[in-house]
Amino acid sequence: MRGRTTLRTGLTWACLGLMMAGGASGQTSDFGGLPPGPGQLETFGNCTACHSTMIITQQNFSRRTWDEVLTWMVEDQGMWEMPAETRQIVLDYLVTHFGPE
Amino acid sequence: MSNQKLERGLRELYEQDPERADYLVFGRKTETDRRGFLKGAGLTAMMLAVGGAIPFARNMPSGLIPSALADTPEDFTLFGKTGIIIRNDRPVNLETPPPLLDPDVTPIENFFVRNNGGVPEPTADPEAWTLTIDGEVDNPLELTLAQLQSDFETVTLRMHLECGGNGRAGFNPSPRGNQWVIGAVGNGEWTGCRLRDVLQQAGLKSSAVYTGHYGADPHLSGEPGRPALSRGVPIDKALEPHTLLVWSMNGEPLPLIHGGPLRIVASGWPGSCSQKWLTRIWVRDQEHDGPGMTGLSYRMPRNPVPPGAEVPHEDMVVMGPMPVKSVITFPDTLSDVRADEAFEVRGHAWAGEHEVQAMHVSYDFGATWVEAELEPPSNRYDWQRWRARITLPTAGYYEIWARATDDTGVMQPAVVPGWNPRGYGNNSQHRIALNAA
Repeated sequence: MRGRTTLRTGLTWACLGLMMAGGASGQTSDFGGLPPGPGQLETFGNCTACHSTMIITQQNFSRRTWDEVLTWMVEDQGMWEMPAETRQIVLDYLVTHFGPE
Repeated sequence: MSNQKLERGLRELYEQDPERADYLVFGRKTETDRRGFLKGAGLTAMMLAVGGAIPFARNMPSGLIPSALADTPEDFTLFGKTGIIIRNDRPVNLETPPPLLDPDVTPIENFFVRNNGGVPEPTADPEAWTLTIDGEVDNPLELTLAQLQSDFETVTLRMHLECGGNGRAGFNPSPRGNQWVIGAVGNGEWTGCRLRDVLQQAGLKSSAVYTGHYGADPHLSGEPGRPALSRGVPIDKALEPHTLLVWSMNGEPLPLIHGGPLRIVASGWPGSCSQKWLTRIWVRDQEHDGPGMTGLSYRMPRNPVPPGAEVPHEDMVVMGPMPVKSVITFPDTLSDVRADEAFEVRGHAWAGEHEVQAMHVSYDFGATWVEAELEPPSNRYDWQRWRARITLPTAGYYEIWARATDDTGVMQPAVVPGWNPRGYGNNSQHRIALNAA
């Protein structure tokens, strides 16, 4: 449990560091257009290492599909595995803001 | 999300987020010292744009439009593209609005872009670009672009290219991926040699049944050596005389963003079969199983499924040729026309591996149809020009629907065809709105 907390804290700091440093493509000022809300930071920090937010903001998925996408990113696309707690925060954020229309 | 929201000139990109614009346009990434470090593609592109070397490029602050460009009135653009819809910026995916598809050959500056991974650095010496042919062949080959150009017959063909997911935005529930509306298609004039001739020189073994294509584009994760995409085609498609190894597009050296210096063009099949930045063709003794061939990617359900169905991977099969389709390129949607006065409606039609046999338009929501004039293709896989003259009887709101029929009698459906998990093959009729006054 302690290890998980440390990992999560580490990841959060990594996100902050990434943003303060300008991010991979400099999407700093507005979280790449991700709407504000719980999970904005975690989503930006975990997803935009490889791709921009534009592929996120185009989508309207059910919880099941977003869940599959997150799994696919790890299993097929070389994404790191998020701590379970962070994954839940990201999943909730994606469903809240980019859920089915 | 409206197209207008996404149609952004470079100036606007810089206004919104200068650092991201730097990255997009010039490949310049901001380092921790807040200076963009210009090199490779980024520096080359920026030098091309300002028309000369930039000796102190290292000192140039990031997010700054070079003043040579800032002083010009015209907007400058992403990879030389104009009027294009940015579906995604990393990876770069750009869609062409229908009016810009009007020319018989789609200009490079308007041609759609589909990338699965990053854009590789431009090669300093294109002629030394090397293609490996190996696998189920008697004599594995390593051929430079210069050899391809000199040792094999050069052919030029007009052929359409269409992303397998063109029209994905029409499916409900929304499948994963770029939400292409209709403009992930274009018709290029491609120059290259026949893949068939090269495969014959390598000598296909009887075990050769499929190709596996590899390109130089890096995977988005940045993992070295990991292919962003590696698809292939059945050997019969590879041996078709129209399947080309291409080094020139519309009379120009194949642009980097379109896969230069060397790509495959396998028209009539999903665009992903036409590997960009081509480095290797692995001739397989089975259906290729690289990234983009398995799971749900570029695959359709073997049997029709209800919208939103969870389809087991074993019930999915690799997509074959693209379906019959057409686009209205004139007038633009939401145009004003005069009632009781004839005007031209026109566009293009294509049909995967088939030819389009007939083209019809309707201005009464599909109740009646007017046959359009249809031109033959200049060669197989060229898209076909169609024109119709119509007169709207009264003032009011109209929709023009366009419907192509291929040479087997198969028509475009009025509604979105069979739902599939990743949203491929939507060939429903293109519709535009007109206000008659």
